[in-house]
Amino acid sequence: MMKSALRIGLTAAAMLTAGSALAAKVAVITPYLSQPGTQFYVEAFQGVAKDKGWDVNVIDTAGDVAAVISRIEDMVNQKVDAIVINVDPSQVTAGLEAAKAANIPVFGMDAGANALLQTNVTSNGYAMAAETSTYVADRIGGAGKVVMFVFDAFPPVQVRGVIADAVFKNYPDISVLDRVTPDVSDGGIADSRAKMEAILAANPEPGSIKAVWAAWDQPALGALQAIEAAGRQNEGIVITGIDANPQAREEIAKGGNFEASVAQDFKGIGAATADAVARVLGGEVLKQRVIYVSTKLVTAANAKE
Amino acid sequence: MLQILRRYGTLIGFVAIVIFFSVMLPATFPTLKNWLNITQQLSMLTVVAAGMTIVMVMGDFDLSVGSMATLSGIVAAMLFVAGVPVPAAVAIALAVGLAGGLVNGVLVSVIGILPFVATLATLTIFSGVAFVLSGGKTISGRAIPPDFADFAKSGVALGDVAGVAVSLPTLTIVAVLVVGLVYILLEQTSVGRRLYAIGGNIEAAHLAGVAVKRLKLIAFSLTGLAAAGAGLMYASRVASANPTQGSGLMLNAIAAVFLGMSMSEEGEPRILATVLGVLILGVLDNGLTQMSVDSYVRQILVGAIIVLAVAASALGKRSRR
Amino acid sequence: MPLLSLKSVSKAYNGVKALKGVSLDIGAGEIHALMGENGAGKSTLIKILAGVVAPDTAEIRVDDQLVTIDGAAGAHRLGFRFIHQEMNVVPALSVAENISLARSYPTRAGLIDWRALNASGRTALERLGISHIDPRQKMARLSLGDQMLVRISAAFLSAQGKPARLYVLDEPTAALTKEESERLFRVLEEIRSSGQSVIYVSHRLDEVMALCDRGTVLRDGVNIDTGRIAEITHDDLVAMMIGRKAQEAYPSASMAASDRVAFRMEGVTGGGAGPVSLEVRAGEILGIAGLSGMGQRALLRMAFGDLATRSGKMELDGAPYHPRSPADAWRLGLAYVPAERRAEGLVLTRPIFENMTLARLKAMSGAGIWLRPRAERALAGQLGGDVRLKARAVTQRVKELSGGNQQKVVFARALSTNPRVLLLDEPTRGVDVGAKFDIYTLIREMTARGMAVILVSSDLPELLGMADSIAIVREGRITTTVSAQGLGEDALINLCYGRTTSEAA
Repeated sequence: MMKSALRIGLTAAAMLTAGSALAAKVAVITPYLSQPGTQFYVEAFQGVAKDKGWDVNVIDTAGDVAAVISRIEDMVNQKVDAIVINVDPSQVTAGLEAAKAANIPVFGMDAGANALLQTNVTSNGYAMAAETSTYVADRIGGAGKVVMFVFDAFPPVQVRGVIADAVFKNYPDISVLDRVTPDVSDGGIADSRAKMEAILAANPEPGSIKAVWAAWDQPALGALQAIEAAGRQNEGIVITGIDANPQAREEIAKGGNFEASVAQDFKGIGAATADAVARVLGGEVLKQRVIYVSTKLVTAANAKE
Repeated sequence: MLQILRRYGTLIGFVAIVIFFSVMLPATFPTLKNWLNITQQLSMLTVVAAGMTIVMVMGDFDLSVGSMATLSGIVAAMLFVAGVPVPAAVAIALAVGLAGGLVNGVLVSVIGILPFVATLATLTIFSGVAFVLSGGKTISGRAIPPDFADFAKSGVALGDVAGVAVSLPTLTIVAVLVVGLVYILLEQTSVGRRLYAIGGNIEAAHLAGVAVKRLKLIAFSLTGLAAAGAGLMYASRVASANPTQGSGLMLNAIAAVFLGMSMSEEGEPRILATVLGVLILGVLDNGLTQMSVDSYVRQILVGAIIVLAVAASALGKRSRR
Repeated sequence: MPLLSLKSVSKAYNGVKALKGVSLDIGAGEIHALMGENGAGKSTLIKILAGVVAPDTAEIRVDDQLVTIDGAAGAHRLGFRFIHQEMNVVPALSVAENISLARSYPTRAGLIDWRALNASGRTALERLGISHIDPRQKMARLSLGDQMLVRISAAFLSAQGKPARLYVLDEPTAALTKEESERLFRVLEEIRSSGQSVIYVSHRLDEVMALCDRGTVLRDGVNIDTGRIAEITHDDLVAMMIGRKAQEAYPSASMAASDRVAFRMEGVTGGGAGPVSLEVRAGEILGIAGLSGMGQRALLRMAFGDLATRSGKMELDGAPYHPRSPADAWRLGLAYVPAERRAEGLVLTRPIFENMTLARLKAMSGAGIWLRPRAERALAGQLGGDVRLKARAVTQRVKELSGGNQQKVVFARALSTNPRVLLLDEPTRGVDVGAKFDIYTLIREMTARGMAVILVSSDLPELLGMADSIAIVREGRITTTVSAQGLGEDALINLCYGRTTSEAA
């Protein structure tokens, strides 16, 4: 009885001190909270913030980018200690400038590099593409025809294609059969499947296609469906994707044609962002404009993790 | 007493909200800077809601305003990419709004499709065109001329308040101008009078010589124009154009007009009441964000307040009978 | 012992007394007329009986038992049935469905038994002697009069549980033709002989005189008198209602019509009506008579540019006239007073002055655009004087006015443009006696100023009292045009049914 009363008293005292002097106020503003990746970042960020005793305000603008500016302005007005955003910084320049004028540091959490941000914490798209393209090259013994699925209109995906181009070019016996940009308005699987079916029809000889390299998982899944529908799953065509979404992991775990993808460490991004915030609040000046969080190759061996 | 509460309940509610936030956030809410922020944040919604008021006066409504706002932003951005100068691109984007509104008007008044159905169809059409034009991507960065992006950041300096430079945002000025024009149209011109007559009794207005079809065309065109204007303001504020960016505007605009209608004895939309409706939505967003209320709880609260205001006015009317 | 006895019924709305201690006895097997000008308190009294309005004080007895009427369901339990002036039908449903709307539909194996439903609809209609309405027809396709008949049949259809004891009918014949009204009267008489009672509200005194046993006159919320109808004259009734000695029912024309033809239709067809040929001279009132739904409405709508003509030609003051919209018609010098003032005439939620100036708003506004509210209010004040409008101010909302005053607002609008031709569709429907006389006087004043008037009416005495000549419409055509001079009501009815006067006599 005495003990528990004492404990309550202590906790209250701790909360009081945390609340009055030490607690840093940090706002996390995103239009995309309902998306799975974003939830992972935010939860991990909150986990670290809790340990540090920060007062975190998570704000979702439900897809509205202009509202992100509005909420940054509100937070500047509230004189928070730091703001974390998860949106293309070039679209919220007005808000970033308001924060800068008030000397409030802003951090990007998988947002994109921008001079107005202290830093941007993200996965290394170059490295992810290097992982899967070298996996493909190794698995086909450095020789054969490869089909690529790319999307150059979206910068984070475009860089992946650049790396894969370079890797395949470095093997004299690997030739790129086709470099396909699927229509993504329906999610990308259906059109990728249709495109792959056409390519398979044009190359009926077994072994004429050695691998499919996709810049993200949806085209890889579409290609897999096309290969299975054509009954050519036993030719040993190697498929890789990037992102390791749940559907991709399931296919990889089956041990079929879809062999590898790369998982971003969303939780790591959230934690690393919190870490960067802590360092700046501690008085450090960050040198890195971008902080990369390592990624992990997913194969049948670890797909179920 | 009950009369006053019914008539001014929404206004009293607004004042109560303002007082509540002022007490809870004395340092940051009731400041000039914050209120200028709020007006700037609300400027786009204000313009869309002002346009929406015009058609709602006739008892119609326009679901396509959000996607029209998106489309005008995309059109302007594509023209920027093509090297068209800013004023010309803005004029063309506004013309697209006018034309889109005219299409709505033709569907509703000449062909006779219910506004709900007609504008639901054009909502998806405008949105689809925006996706087709942009290829689904966000147009941003260097594609957007600084002149255009700076417009939303500019303002008229009001001097220093407590050592901080304060300025009246240009977007706020635009919104006030649009509200003023709609006020003049609805309250001071024969066009507005006829629109209210149509809203009150379309058959009587028609038989009294009101050119109902032509007025519907005009009203829907103006609503489209306002939506396009808001889309450009939005694009300037985010310095980019994205094929989904205006989608939140439509429901909020309708909500604002309904909140305003709860203040009118006859349930007629009035432009100044609409502005109050917009302010209620904006102040709630601003204050609740500052109080760190969860985003989703905020949505529930805003919806509840709309229901409360409209229900109170409906019940008040019934008790009088 | 009376079936129903009311004592000292009072009711005030926001401090304004609508009823000040009204007492009323209704005997069993009696048709009791309830009369009074609009605003005398009839509607409030009926609403109290219907359980819609709670009285401030009242002593209500049924079979000598003190009762309180507990909502609409309570009124129904007591055996009260109501037929209101305003239509409440579902246009998208069939006649039979509308008749059975308040009851549960007959079912077979859990599904609606359409055959039984239609049969019960037909039975209900036959009770009123109606055979021309198919119970399977959609309600929307019926004329206004037929819709009213359907509603009346529905009310007479015996409801489950509680038998009906008292029917309250509020202006049931407003939209009915003479023959339809008479069928209704026969049913009411049947009801009377079976011991049930009727409260009958009507502005048509002739009906009251012919049908009712006793009558009660209300004025300003007080019952002036109750008496046996047989012992009272028409003029006494009117005097009691308006509180002064009755003026002559129809003011006479001060001058004869000119020879100049103001408006002419020649072989005009459209909207299923026609060919119609007629002409009306300046200062003349041309009456249009006919059974309801015979194309009168289409005729007016074609003249007013609301309904496209398919063939034929129209002339206004000798010049070709082709209106493409009501706006055209107003501009060219026509004015129209529609039959349904609430549905077609007025914007009820807007002030009086806005309703009056709507048709000439453009001319009134600066550069056709800028409103000049002060000038509008001045004009409205003047027009209000011309039509003897009783209102607090021209800024008052139209919906707060009585039926007669609302109609005067519609007339004021028609006058606002100084028209050459005035089209009137049932101009005194649902208007009380005092306001009726004002409207008739007004029409006379207009013809004296050289206006030509086309008057469509189902009120035959009105046509005979006002019109110079009368055109008979049947199945969309004008069958004959006769002088109203010396024409009797019987002869006019016979003409409407297509019989010649000599045959009828």
